[in-house]
Amino acid sequence: MDIEWYLVLSALLFATGFLGVMIRRNPVVILLCLELMLSAGALALLAFSRMLGNQDAQVFVLIVLVVAACEVVVGLGLVVAMYRRRLPLDVDEVKELKG
Amino acid sequence: MLHQYLPVLVFAALGILVGGAFATLNLVLGPKRLKGDESSAAIRQMDPYECGLPSEISKTFRFGVSFYLVAMLFILFDIEVVFLYPVGAILKSTDSVFVLAEVVLFVALLFVALIYVWRKGALDWR
Amino acid sequence: MSFDAPTIDYAGLSPVIALTVGLVVIVLAAVFDSVRRFGPALALLTYAVTAGCLIWQWNANLDLVSGSLRIDGLAVTLSLLAVIAAAVAVLLAIGDPSETQAGRSDWLALLTGSLLGMVILAQATSMLTFFVGLELLSIPLYALCGTNLRRRESLESGLKYLIVGSVGSATLLYGLAMIYGASGATGFQAISDGLQAGDGMLSDSLTLVGVGMVAVGLAFKVSIAPFHQWTPDVYQGAPTPVTAFMAVATKAAAFAVFIRFFLVALGPLADQWDVMLAALAALSIVVGNVGALAQTSLKRMLGYSGVAQAGYMLAGIVTATQAGVDALVFYLAAYVAMNVAAFAVVVIRERQNGFSDDISTLRGLGREKPLLAWPLTIAMLALAGLPPTAGFIGKLYLIEALVDDDWTWLAVMIAIGTMISLGYYLRVVATLWMSPAGQAEAGAEIDTASLPPQIAGAQADPFEDSRADRRWYLVAPALIATAAALFFGVIPQPLVDFAQHAGDALSVWIS
Repeated sequence: MDIEWYLVLSALLFATGFLGVMIRRNPVVILLCLELMLSAGALALLAFSRMLGNQDAQVFVLIVLVVAACEVVVGLGLVVAMYRRRLPLDVDEVKELKG
Repeated sequence: MLHQYLPVLVFAALGILVGGAFATLNLVLGPKRLKGDESSAAIRQMDPYECGLPSEISKTFRFGVSFYLVAMLFILFDIEVVFLYPVGAILKSTDSVFVLAEVVLFVALLFVALIYVWRKGALDWR
Repeated sequence: MSFDAPTIDYAGLSPVIALTVGLVVIVLAAVFDSVRRFGPALALLTYAVTAGCLIWQWNANLDLVSGSLRIDGLAVTLSLLAVIAAAVAVLLAIGDPSETQAGRSDWLALLTGSLLGMVILAQATSMLTFFVGLELLSIPLYALCGTNLRRRESLESGLKYLIVGSVGSATLLYGLAMIYGASGATGFQAISDGLQAGDGMLSDSLTLVGVGMVAVGLAFKVSIAPFHQWTPDVYQGAPTPVTAFMAVATKAAAFAVFIRFFLVALGPLADQWDVMLAALAALSIVVGNVGALAQTSLKRMLGYSGVAQAGYMLAGIVTATQAGVDALVFYLAAYVAMNVAAFAVVVIRERQNGFSDDISTLRGLGREKPLLAWPLTIAMLALAGLPPTAGFIGKLYLIEALVDDDWTWLAVMIAIGTMISLGYYLRVVATLWMSPAGQAEAGAEIDTASLPPQIAGAQADPFEDSRADRRWYLVAPALIATAAALFFGVIPQPLVDFAQHAGDALSVWIS
């Protein structure tokens, strides 16, 4: 299979994630979309790694996976903290800091 | 010079177009409650499965915070183990104490994290 | 296939090792009651040892960990700046609501983790360490922003920073993937070789997309316009010691890797990216300075001013010359001094004023507490770039480097930006010194404010501290930073040597 298809898929994932972050208002969905964006980068790295035939990027992808998990856990922690304090869980309503 | 950028533009446009479609299509295609139609059939149509037991979870049902805490800790410790995988990949060709020391060091660092979590009481079920 | 254990240069790795050991100790100190209260001392000891290791390796110039890290002048100087900023944050955080509520050592562990990320980032010479360092820097910062649990702005700013920062990280990662595809390598030097050898349209457009996305990702981190929108919000929402740390240390570390990645890995493409970066720098200068004009909150104003300052510093990279790097590092060092002085005063005033950072709360401070007013005054003058301060010398070097490399229009932009910035910096100075202590204001308002909080109807705030302006750990950073900003404005030579040490490290790659 051609590498182009993997790249197209990763570009689609990235664009979906990005637009999701922009459009969606629920922070949990936004965190999902962030994961999508990072996964798109990981997929592109793996595709290139296969194309080039070197393994440099494969370890990189493992690290990206772990980092993505850490990021989302910190994000979820913040969301849970906001939820417990009954703050609005809609990023459009997070208005205190606009302007 | 300019024609170099053409693939970039096509690439970006395609990405935004299809990505936008995915992100917005469910607003258009997703189930919508018909205005004024509150009959049970109309409500049933909102369900993922139209027949069988109602699959909805009551809105007032809440997961305790402990669930989230344990789930998040599980994700972290679970995914950290992925770093042992590369060691496994080269294990057959190694007989060096260095690799062992590295793995022990890594697990020791994870153990520090475990001690922290345990002493903080995050593992107690509340 | 046999496996050989890599040779490890423990001396070169010593700063990273020292910080990691310190981090482990601080994490353990957080959960054992008997040692918990030594948290700040442990953190300061860790930073002192790290700084010692960095100075020990001052003249080192070698690759570590199979070329993933490199300790050289650039890494040492910028890591030192980050360590200083972290030490100041530890002092400023003593007694701060965020530190107390998060549990002292827990807070310090997050800070140390972030600092470890910065030290790794400053040494990074491969995509892997680049990404790991950047994330290790960012993730603890997201949590730190949310540590003041009493204020909803704090949690919100943490979440906001996390979302924006992660978009930046993901964009950066995608750009790195593209560059890897085009060059076939992950090490900076190997990328440069691969790009020079590469040809064909695919790799050209790949590289361009990649370079663009990496620039965008880094621009998110150092808050360069148009990717700066989070900056004023997060600066205002985050606890002030965190803001101080974030403002200076993040910039130092991120600019280190910015320099390394663009000048070493993407050096062969300098003709392609310099215009792009110049445009970002110019936009940043204009947006930051104009945005700051309308602010009434001191922290927001410093946020916008940070955007503008990032624009000035980015101009140093645009030149792709050693003079440009020297000027950038000099400016960064001056920026640390100026911002530490300003934020230390903000911290003190906040604790005396019920945590308001409105500029109007500074009214008449010059007459009441000159010891607080002078540091802020000099910080503002230095940020504005007026002589005789280090800020002035820094701008001079930047403009000189730009003009020498035929970027006169960008030098003019810096001058124009400086002109605009006088509008808001001098407004703060005027508020400090000219207005009388506010007796002329509506009398009733002042009466309530001057009464003890219980009588005024508000609840007593356990974190308010009317004697904050006499706490040595708050006042000392302000005074030392002010002295440094003045000293290096009058006698810049030591700081010039410091900056040139960073520039010399890159002499193999740039002229």
